[in-house]
Amino acid sequence: MRKFVALTLIQLGFLAACGGGGGYGGGGGTPPPPPPMQMIATPGPPNVETMTVNSGPAGVNAVNTAYISVKVCVHGTSTCKTIDHIEVDTGSIGLRIMSSVLSAAPAITLPGENDGSGNPLAECLQFADGTSWGSLATADIQLPVSGETAANLHVQVIGDPAYPTVPTDCTGMPENDVVTFGANGILGVGPFIQDCGSACVAAVTPLTVYYSCPSPSTCAAANASLAEQVPNPVTLFGTDGNGVIVELPAVASAGSATTSGSLVFGIGTRTNNGLGTATVLPEDPNTGWITGTYKGTLYTNSYLDSGSNGNFFTDSSLTLCTSNPKFYCPTSTMSETATLKGTNAATLAADFSVANADTLFSVTSYTAFSNLGGTNSDTAGFDLGLPFFYGHNVFTAIENANTPGGIGPYFAY
Amino acid sequence: MKLIRPVVCSIIVAVTVAAPAFAALGGDATSVQADLLRMKGALRTTSSAAFTVHEITTSYGTVVREYLTPGDKVFAVSWRGPVIPDLRQMLGTYYGQYEQAASTPHVGGHRHFAIEQPGLVVQSSGRMRAFSGRAWAPDLLPQNFSANDIN
Repeated sequence: MRKFVALTLIQLGFLAACGGGGGYGGGGGTPPPPPPMQMIATPGPPNVETMTVNSGPAGVNAVNTAYISVKVCVHGTSTCKTIDHIEVDTGSIGLRIMSSVLSAAPAITLPGENDGSGNPLAECLQFADGTSWGSLATADIQLPVSGETAANLHVQVIGDPAYPTVPTDCTGMPENDVVTFGANGILGVGPFIQDCGSACVAAVTPLTVYYSCPSPSTCAAANASLAEQVPNPVTLFGTDGNGVIVELPAVASAGSATTSGSLVFGIGTRTNNGLGTATVLPEDPNTGWITGTYKGTLYTNSYLDSGSNGNFFTDSSLTLCTSNPKFYCPTSTMSETATLKGTNAATLAADFSVANADTLFSVTSYTAFSNLGGTNSDTAGFDLGLPFFYGHNVFTAIENANTPGGIGPYFAY
Repeated sequence: MKLIRPVVCSIIVAVTVAAPAFAALGGDATSVQADLLRMKGALRTTSSAAFTVHEITTSYGTVVREYLTPGDKVFAVSWRGPVIPDLRQMLGTYYGQYEQAASTPHVGGHRHFAIEQPGLVVQSSGRMRAFSGRAWAPDLLPQNFSANDIN
């Protein structure tokens, strides 16, 4: 496949690339229809943000991680700071920023968020690979390219030195600095309105997610109302508050040093964010799961996730790598297909390929790989990560939100 | 789940009922009441000749399973649900080893995590509101027990 300069084409207003992978069986007869054209929206007002895949902040060496910049301001003032390398994550909810990035010159101090008793709030945010601890704060944010804004947004300040004591019941590997976390912050734009939701509102024993802090060293797990929780910032974007589209161009089979695309806000709210021919796959409203069938096996816990840097699934026929044993290293690149199914009857083919990850990673200057696959310890899990997003416009609709494709949560592409 | 036959019993008891013992990885079966009270959960016990599974469904919907040998030693734990349970409680004396092993860089991003050491395996995956994971002590596995049956 020919490499191309994505930015130049984006400036023309669209970008053409092959949609989906896989080969055509050939034989005589009618040639297959051409693959659908991928249209990537032009970054700019009112709803399209520039998104870049690169190695991340210094020391991170990220692969398949999409970043944007976010401008944060002290509420109601013009005291602002633009922060780059915020990871775009359709698998989590909420804006979280590393304290060290906020405090680096020129420093900005965001006022903290208090609970109903006037005590500061903090959060122990769980990821599968660790937890991030930090205080909650309030900010006005603006996305610098599109101009989308959210006022009085609750955000988490990860690794806030004012709250150095991680509560003993906030367990899991700490991810409280840029290098460990892999980004200067994260913009969670997944299918839910809040990060925790109703489970954290009135639990008999409060979940170890939100903490009330009479003093920085005495934070205790506490319930938090929906209004107090960290929300999906997109839900505050007014007209464009019903979801996002991640639009990244296809990547050559050997990988690419970097690539750029668009994070589009809103689904069917403008002329540039319609569903077009995309198929809607409604998600389980509690888990965000759809199902997938791969090589005859049903995977009940399937999802599309920009925050996964590979396609992660179980396939004992694929050889594991020697250098990176959680990734697959087939001797030749394999073309694979899963059939995704929403909670309705709709099905959709997901074509992807799996290349030798050790070979891919041997070009250390490359950060974008469309054919990176790895194992999934959830044997019922089928996780189509950022590799699958290259060449597809992937829609994530938020729970309870109205869109031309129905009410969220759903995936579509 | 592929249990080793025969399944002897399957009972559900309320929190307040005297219940079989329950404990963290590597521990003895002594702390069920504390764990049940802490998790505000319902307990379900499944036994076979080779091992016993204590399953607690917490009030917040996470299902925690602990696998015990006939000698009441916990050799594996698993979890599935909207919130990852307290790993210090789940891993018991293995938590320090987990912390140390987990502090080395890993490449799976935020959704997938695994450490595999001679004495401890921990696997975790999922995204916000839908997590799953399991941990086991290979040295403690009953004979002919496959780790694939920890789910």
